[in-house]
Amino acid sequence: MSDYLRRLPVYLLLDCSGSMTGEPIEAVKQGLKTLLSELKSDPQALETAYLSIITFDSTARQICPLTELFSFKEPQISAGGATALGGALKVLAECIKNEVRLSTNEQKGDWKPLVFIMTDGAPTDDIDEGINALKQVSAGNIIACAAGANANTEPLKKITNNVLMMNNLTTGDMAQFFAWVSSSVKLSSKSVEAKPGEAVVLPPPPQGFVIVP
Amino acid sequence: MQSGEIIRAEFESGESIEFVFDANAPRGGMKHTFFTPDKKYAVQFFNNPNDAANPLIQDRIRTITGIYNPTVSEENGGAAGNTEKTAAYFRQRFCWPVGILKYPVFGIVCPTYPKNFFFGADASAVLNLKGKDKKSNWFTGKNRKYLAPAERGDFRTMLGAAISLCRSIRRLHVAGLAHSDLSCNNVLIDPKTGSAVVIDIDSLVVPNKYAPEVVGTRGYIAPEVLSTIMLDFRDPKRKLPCVQTDLHALPVLIYEYLFCRHPLIGPKIYSSANAEEDDFLCLGPRATFIEDPKDTSNRPPDLKFTINSLSDGLERLFLKAFSDGLHEPSERPTAMEWERELLKAWDKLVCCDNPACEKKWFILRDKNRPVCPFCGKRKTKEIVLLELKSEMYGRKGVYRDKNEIAVFDRMPVYDWHIFSNVRNDEKADTQMRAYIALHNGMWLLVNSGAEGMLSPSGRLVPKGSAFELKDGDFFRISAKENGLLCKVTVCNKS
Repeated sequence: MSDYLRRLPVYLLLDCSGSMTGEPIEAVKQGLKTLLSELKSDPQALETAYLSIITFDSTARQICPLTELFSFKEPQISAGGATALGGALKVLAECIKNEVRLSTNEQKGDWKPLVFIMTDGAPTDDIDEGINALKQVSAGNIIACAAGANANTEPLKKITNNVLMMNNLTTGDMAQFFAWVSSSVKLSSKSVEAKPGEAVVLPPPPQGFVIVP
Repeated sequence: MQSGEIIRAEFESGESIEFVFDANAPRGGMKHTFFTPDKKYAVQFFNNPNDAANPLIQDRIRTITGIYNPTVSEENGGAAGNTEKTAAYFRQRFCWPVGILKYPVFGIVCPTYPKNFFFGADASAVLNLKGKDKKSNWFTGKNRKYLAPAERGDFRTMLGAAISLCRSIRRLHVAGLAHSDLSCNNVLIDPKTGSAVVIDIDSLVVPNKYAPEVVGTRGYIAPEVLSTIMLDFRDPKRKLPCVQTDLHALPVLIYEYLFCRHPLIGPKIYSSANAEEDDFLCLGPRATFIEDPKDTSNRPPDLKFTINSLSDGLERLFLKAFSDGLHEPSERPTAMEWERELLKAWDKLVCCDNPACEKKWFILRDKNRPVCPFCGKRKTKEIVLLELKSEMYGRKGVYRDKNEIAVFDRMPVYDWHIFSNVRNDEKADTQMRAYIALHNGMWLLVNSGAEGMLSPSGRLVPKGSAFELKDGDFFRISAKENGLLCKVTVCNKS
């Protein structure tokens, strides 16, 4: 029998600018690996979550299209260049438009996407254009994480009300961030609470992370 | 605190326990969990400090751990009427809190689940599942294909898991407790052995105690609870989890175990506005059973194995639960009714003749033309049925049907097959008394330990002896008081 499962699209927007070189980018790679293995061992996440990765340095690109977890291949990423966060938002809007299924009279649509943005600096391009592009699509729930002392939370607050601050860029902090992303995806894929129009409930952020008011 | 650091916690009783701190401890909606160094106990704390400090929540949890506890005998402070035997039985089927912590903060200690509810190293060739718990949706949905065939069990073991679950829920309900969040996450199953364990006991609804603020899990929330979810918690029109809502979640789980699909999620599109709206209507106010005979709008076009392939009794209960009772909570069958009908169905299981059949067993419905509903293979081997009848109290010579059993080679025979006053439940002795053997084309009943067993000719059958079961035999199976009467019918003869 065909299954009538709905997909939960998850987009990760990862900063790969020059300042991420060294330990930070290695921590991101390690974090992604753990995230994948964690989600693949959660039955509800494995059934419903679909993952895509968009990276940004001097430009932005989707390096992994929206793929079911089981077939997801770990991407090659490296650091270098500027911080084209605005460009990343435009790519995100484009991807959501092309990849996320809408509800119609003929098809069951996907859940609202869950978007995680991680950046360690300040955008070097214009983000307003990206924000406008996002407004044209139903972007769902966006959580932005400002990582390390040099991250600027102001532009992030223009994108979403959910902004977290991670104090350090250490491997340990990055691991906690990805563990939290993983619990958020797990929680969303099971509770996708059928309260129309309601934002998803995410688990409390890890220790040492501050919610930016 | 660092991950790996050992922390000493103190029980309200004054005793102490150590646990391993983990910065990335698994977090659920309400609590996060650490483990003792030997992994024998889970130590849980509330995510929200206000919950931990709430005296009403603390009071409810103390009651659950004490006078409502079916895993501790009455003489040791557990539930009234509980013997050590029944307590031991339910210790295998519930992860019931064993103690309450007062330091560092209010928390709960529960035993970890029995070993067979964790995946072993060879559970899957394509995923690393070693040590992960066996949430039931590993076995009932799309994920099933990733598991090694030996992990998936067959129809008989899934039916066994359903019986085990019903018994546990019946035990809660007769005490007036409701689980309130029965779901694929809170009931682990082991299809290898056909067993189930109920976890997350601390959100139980306890009579006259402050109700837990849980809603439940998507897919298992009763339609009336979902339909009123936007109302305030204290609004009298808001429907909250209770025994009747458990009686929606329970058959959803049973249906998933037996059919490997969800009873309400079908092709019907309820709203084209967005997924959230469509899902709300699909599982809430407009929920429609995919097999509803009166409304086929949600019926998948390629439905093969249906409730019509189960026993009459189970078909009737599923219709009561998902057609009549879906939006009418008082119509829903009780856990006791489910347990009884599942046991009757268990007795009517026959082996599929097709060695390649994945489900291996099916419930005998058409005695004259038995066909496996899973693989479509017509059964050609003969089937021996035993009709067990009990003498009506005070009316000598008048009998009523107790149950009907389709026997199979090496089927064990227990007290409930021999005596009218023994039921197959947690109180019954699980010592095998006799067994069925197919030997040189003859069906034998072999007495391995029953006192006073009688043969069709009325002669005493000593332990270690056997007699043949022949079509038309009608005899009293035991000379002892309450011995059942047994009628043998051979059907589907070649």
